[in-house]
This record gives sequence, structure tokens and C-alpha cells, in this order.
Amino acid sequence: MSGQRGVSTLGAVLLAGTAGLLTATLLMDWMVVDVHVVDETPVHIKVPFPLVIADMATGLIPEEALREAKIPPEAKAQKELVLAAVRALADCPDAQLVKVRTEDASVDIIKDGDTLRIAVDADDAVVRCNIPIDGVAEALEEWDWETADPKMLFDVLRAADNGELVTVATDDGVRVAITMW
Amino acid sequence: MKRTLIALVAILALAAAPAAFAQETRWVNVNVSETSSGTNVEVHLPLDLVLTVLRNVDVENFHGGQVDLELDDTDINWPEIMKAVKDAPDGKFVTVTSNEANVNVRKEGGTLYVDVEEKSEDMAKVQVTMPMAMMDALTPGEGNTIDVAALLSSFDKLPDGELVRVTSNDANVRVWIE
Repeated sequence: MSGQRGVSTLGAVLLAGTAGLLTATLLMDWMVVDVHVVDETPVHIKVPFPLVIADMATGLIPEEALREAKIPPEAKAQKELVLAAVRALADCPDAQLVKVRTEDASVDIIKDGDTLRIAVDADDAVVRCNIPIDGVAEALEEWDWETADPKMLFDVLRAADNGELVTVATDDGVRVAITMW
Repeated sequence: MKRTLIALVAILALAAAPAAFAQETRWVNVNVSETSSGTNVEVHLPLDLVLTVLRNVDVENFHGGQVDLELDDTDINWPEIMKAVKDAPDGKFVTVTSNEANVNVRKEGGTLYVDVEEKSEDMAKVQVTMPMAMMDALTPGEGNTIDVAALLSSFDKLPDGELVRVTSNDANVRVWIE
């Protein structure tokens, strides 16, 4: 009887552990990098990546390495301009802001809610980019504008809506997609 | 009955208030099309966004939305000239006809129209529409600066319409506000 209770306790612990792991997995922000190469030797790599791990990894980067990755001072001089532009962009109504058509390429920039959608269709590549405006604004506000900060990139990624963030498809058969999940 | 009527009026007033105070977004549009290459560029930006960026630009000759014209050596009384233009009655101000180009400056219904028609090379035709609301902002300040941000702010008071149109053999440019 006590042996039966032991098994059921173990089962309950395992079940609770699995449920906890599943919940944590579902609650975490994931980035999936999908690289697809279609040629004579096709390659398909799909790497799911929890952002919390990325955060931890950036914490392990030696400070010295970050100090060496200095941003030119001209960037900091434009901080207010960039922040003001991003904030104004966040506040402006949805619309197609830019449309460029040339013989060999087209560019569209559309503000859609909190997302700035950039689409480039060129002869040799097609690029789609969905930038979370609020996320960029917050990351830029927190950034010191002096050193390259990988954490800033992950802050932006965390603010992105679920779905494809960036896709690049080239005419030589390479397709790269970064998807938020 | 009277109380019901007052309540109804109050509700209607409350419902109408947001609509009355809602500020409509004004848009600055620029369209550039190059005939030879088939390139077409359309820019459609909210006026507030353009103003915010302009007011924060800090580069040589352009600070806080003001452009330095570097007209230190000239002795032109810009405010006087602009006032004269503003106060002038409607009519044709300037008409130049030459082999190279025709220039026409006229005022109609409180709006200044400048038309330039080139007769050679690109055969360019430039049409500028300048409502009087823009004149104050166009007047250079004490330091011979033009407040571009104020000029753009004045767009907010303008009715929808075209401000600049350039047509030539090579390219066409249109700037309008809506």
C-alpha cells in the first residue's frame, strides 16, 4: 500500500514538473532562426532559442569586450533626434509612409499599429522586416549610446509580436527567417 | 420634461466634445518621379513627425528647426518686404518674359503664386503656391535664419492642396498637404 502511494507521489511530482516545464516554455519568449539553403546540397537548420537564455548569455560577455566595442561619439550626438523621431513615429497614425518603385527594386515602409513593416523587393533578394516601434524606443532610451549592447537587441526582440520578424530570400536559394514565438 | 431636455443636451454635448477637439492629422506628401529611369518615390509623412525631427536636427547651419541663410553681408529688410506682400491687394506682381524663361508672380485670394517656365534645356516648369499663412514663417529672423519648423507648422493652418509642382523632361516633383 505504501509502495503504491510512493509511485503515485513520484508520478504526481513528474506530472507537476512536466506541467511546470511546459508552462515555463509557453510563457517564455522564443526566437526561431530558420535557415534554408536550396541548391545541390540542400541545408535546413532550425534553431529555437529562448530569449531568457540569450539574456543570461549576454551577462556572461566580459565587460572588457563590450568596452572595446565602442560606438562613434557622433551616434550619441544624434540620440535626441533619433529618440524624438521614433517616439513621433510611434504616435503617428497607421499609413504607408514611403513607397519607392524603380526598374529593379521596390521599397515599402508601412506603419501598422506598433509595427513598422519594411518590404524590399529587389532583383536578387526579397526582404521583409517587422520592427516593433515601442520596443526600439524603449531599448534606445535605456541604451548608453556609447557601447555595443547585445541586451538592447534582445529587448527589441522581446517587444516584437509573435510571427516573422525578418525574412530574407535571395535568388541563389537562401532563405533566412527569424520568427518570434 | 425640462429636466429630460437638459439631460439630453448635456449628453449630446459630451458626445460631441471629443469630435470637436479631435485634431486631425495633417500629412506632408512628396512625390518624385524620374522619367528616364522610371523611378517613382512617394513619401507620406505626418506633419507632427516631420516637425519633431526638424526641431531635433542639430547640424551645421541647421539648428532647432532653423536654417542659417548666411546673409550677413546683405542689408535687406525682410519683415518689411513680407509685410508688403501680405498687405498687397490681389493682382499680378511680376511678369518676366525672356527667351530663357517666363516668370509670373501673382496674388489671388490671399495666396501667392509663383510660376516659372523654362524655355530651354529641361523645359522645366515650376509652380509654387504660397498661402499667406506661410509668409510670416518665411520671413528671416534677426540672425538671418529661416524657421523651417515654423514654416512647416504653418502647414497645419493651410487647406488641403498642392504647394509645389515641378515638371520637366527629366523628372516631376509634387509637394502637397492634406
